Amino acid sequence: MKFLIQLLLTIITSWLLQSFLPWWSAVIAAFIIGLLLSGNKGISSFFAGFSAIFLLWFGYALVIDINSQSILTEKIASILTVNNKYILIMITGVIGALPAGFGALTGNRLARLLKKEKNTEHYS
Amino acid sequence: MKIVRFIIPLLITSSLIYFLSNAISLGGTSAPPLGHFLNPFEGFWQNATNKNLSINSEITLKGLQNSVSIQYDSNLVPHITASNDKDLYMAQGYVIANLRLWQMEFQTHAAAGRISELIGDKGINFDRLQRRKGMVHGAKATLASFENDPYLVSLVDAYADGVNTYISSLSYRDLPLEYKLMDYEPEPWTPLKTALILQYMTDNLTGFDNDLENTNARNLFGGETFDLLFPDRPEGIEPTITTHPDSLWAFDPIVTTEINTEDIKKYTGKTFEKPDPSNGSNNWVVSGSKTKSGVPILSNDTHLGLNLPSLWIMMQLQSPTVNVYGYTFAGALGITIGHNDSTSWGFTNAPRDTRDWYNITFKDDTELEYLYDSAWRSTTLKIEEIKAKGSEPFYDTVIYTHHGPVVYDGSFLNDDHKNQYYALKWSGHNPSRVQNGLLLLNRANNYDEHIAAIEYWDSPPQNIVFSSTQGDIAMTVQGDFPVKWKGQGKFLMDGSNPSHEWGITIPKAQNARILNPEKGFIGSANQHSVDSLYPYYFYNASNEYYRNRRINDLLSSKQNITIQDMAQMQMDSYSLKAAEILPLLLDSLRGDKFTVEQIDYLERLKRWDYVYRAETKAPLIFNIWWMNLYSNIWDEFDVDTLAMARPSHYNTYLLMKDNPSLAFFDNASTANNETLTELINQSFDQTSEYLKKLISDDPEYNWGDDKATKILHLSRIKDLSILNIQIDGHRHAINSTKGQHGPSQRFVVEMTSPPTAYGIYPGGQSGNPGSYYYDNMVEKWRTGELLPLLFMQPNKNYDDQIMISQTLTPSEK
Repeated sequence: MKFLIQLLLTIITSWLLQSFLPWWSAVIAAFIIGLLLSGNKGISSFFAGFSAIFLLWFGYALVIDINSQSILTEKIASILTVNNKYILIMITGVIGALPAGFGALTGNRLARLLKKEKNTEHYS
Repeated sequence: MKIVRFIIPLLITSSLIYFLSNAISLGGTSAPPLGHFLNPFEGFWQNATNKNLSINSEITLKGLQNSVSIQYDSNLVPHITASNDKDLYMAQGYVIANLRLWQMEFQTHAAAGRISELIGDKGINFDRLQRRKGMVHGAKATLASFENDPYLVSLVDAYADGVNTYISSLSYRDLPLEYKLMDYEPEPWTPLKTALILQYMTDNLTGFDNDLENTNARNLFGGETFDLLFPDRPEGIEPTITTHPDSLWAFDPIVTTEINTEDIKKYTGKTFEKPDPSNGSNNWVVSGSKTKSGVPILSNDTHLGLNLPSLWIMMQLQSPTVNVYGYTFAGALGITIGHNDSTSWGFTNAPRDTRDWYNITFKDDTELEYLYDSAWRSTTLKIEEIKAKGSEPFYDTVIYTHHGPVVYDGSFLNDDHKNQYYALKWSGHNPSRVQNGLLLLNRANNYDEHIAAIEYWDSPPQNIVFSSTQGDIAMTVQGDFPVKWKGQGKFLMDGSNPSHEWGITIPKAQNARILNPEKGFIGSANQHSVDSLYPYYFYNASNEYYRNRRINDLLSSKQNITIQDMAQMQMDSYSLKAAEILPLLLDSLRGDKFTVEQIDYLERLKRWDYVYRAETKAPLIFNIWWMNLYSNIWDEFDVDTLAMARPSHYNTYLLMKDNPSLAFFDNASTANNETLTELINQSFDQTSEYLKKLISDDPEYNWGDDKATKILHLSRIKDLSILNIQIDGHRHAINSTKGQHGPSQRFVVEMTSPPTAYGIYPGGQSGNPGSYYYDNMVEKWRTGELLPLLFMQPNKNYDDQIMISQTLTPSEK
């Protein structure tokens, strides 16, 4: 459940950020949500961030591909020598997802780090 | 410990962000920054539009005086309506940038020798040559001439403002695909870039000469042989404008005296790359006496390199002073080829040697002074900084004499040119007022206004065809031509001798012109533009000998001509060259011992109607046979260390016919004394052997595959290009198609009121490879279909033909 919430919140936040910021705002979104929902385990946080941006980028690219009858997807697939539009759409998803996953993990680890420091402060 | 567990993913995340935000270079190729490029919110995905148009219906354009309406019809042709001319050209700049921004900037970068900035140091040699030829030097001269006309300056500035408003509205997401692929951004448009676009066309159309090759050939074979091989006027030519027997040229020409230059015995190694000499066109016009409707019909198709985005773009421009429709270049103001309410016009190249080389004698190695008229004159040095992507800038010093830049000086590709200093004198260095001429042509309402408009047509020289709703038809060989003595500039000249200088420019009123000839038609196709009775010396290294005669044959035989007849004629793939040469070849074949394949080839050739159809073999067989024979005949011209240009195909045919015992018909590399007949037979055997292998590998291999017409993206990326187009035609047929070259647009207009026009070009209105309109006209172009062109009239409603509308509004202040 927590996983799903993190996934959905990451999708929504990055969608909003990306409408006016460059691509790396997707990673920022994953980081922020990873930080806020630090109850998840690290590995689970990574996969929530990864899957969120994968689904978003893969899905959006697929929609654009279908709406444009693949007119450009095939040309770019050939220029980048992947030669298959589905592989290109898949790569698109992974290129966004990988840094986003690490971004979410970074957020998660930072939350833990901060919590630890807070605790230390409390007991001193 | 928790710190480490945080730092490790932080480092990985930031490295990934860094890595994916920057271009990667692997070996020779570089990939765009993948994070940006593949992001569906801003990367290439945003360029995938297909039939959808991403055009905002309202745009604010600073500097407009009133609102401007832009209506895109179903071919994505913009129809711009403005309430004054400044607004009109500002809107034209905006609209063209919207459709073709990357292309217009790329072409001006190429013209200015700045390609290395985009592709790195592999562009340096190209850029150096552009700089050495003085491309920017010429464009600046043209720009300076604008300054004499403040009204023109205000229009050119308005156009630049329109382009720049579009550029400044762009974020990464909206950039044309090519910027994302090559990872750079557009720079502001300037009036100099408009001049550079015109310079680019001037170079394309006047940048060819064979002076140094001619000098080598004359040195090797002697003057008499040279004249036999390269006659100024071979028999049987049909010049564009022939002198009327009743009225010789009614002016007193400037008199010249011939000077012998045979003592300049310089040999030159390989010359630098030149534009394709088959850059040319067809145009013709028929008077109402020959048409079904009783009004003139004008036709024009321009043969240039085939690229995507297309060189041409179509539009309609309306203001209180003008209503004009036609083709134009991205970067130039107004319409280049087209029609308005009452006149129409078109162009073919009217080549005449306006590009000459002067041998320069420097005083010493410093190259600071050169000999002229028995005294030393100072040179000026221009240091060219060529910036290259990913490497240090390259600096080149170009020496300028009063003739022009010393293009050949041993420092550039120097192996072949040690101690050779040739300065280039070129019409392209002079200011050209064609931008003004175009704006006036767009507004000409009759023949007199047309002639007044083309008074400004300086360079490149063109055969300007004309027709009007008043029923006039005309052709003018227009441009700045220097007065030359006989033979001047055909060979290398002496840069120290004042009598080798060009004369003054022939007054435009003395340029050749014809109005309403009795025969009822006029055509031109880059042949000799004047006959021997025209009082000024004419020379050109790349005359065309076939298309023009075919056009004349067809037009003189036709009556009741319709637009469809003209469209069909543009697709005529009959070759007079084959019709003249092939019977001579077949008659010379000896032998009773032909192979099975040879019998097949001969059968096909004998049955051939000389039409170059893509799906047949006869044109392929003839073409290879002829090219083999041609190389065998002129094997004396294969000199590795020297630049050589062989005689024309047409004159080769005349020599074969009239002079079969010419020494050149002997193969120099063999001890035997071959005759022409033997050469023809040898070439046929050679051809059969080659074809046998070719056809046994691929039985379906036909003329269309051999010609392999293609339309290349300007960046040469093949995935954005269209390769191997099966289209009929041949370089010397009216439908003049070859490798990456052919009719870059077709246009037919009937001079009804208002005129009725049709057109097509091998591309589409959009420069975006992700759009349906990138190449949607190519298939119709291939099959010869013409689209009806929508010529809007004021105060009429065309809603059913309009796909999308846009309003440009002035900003509040």
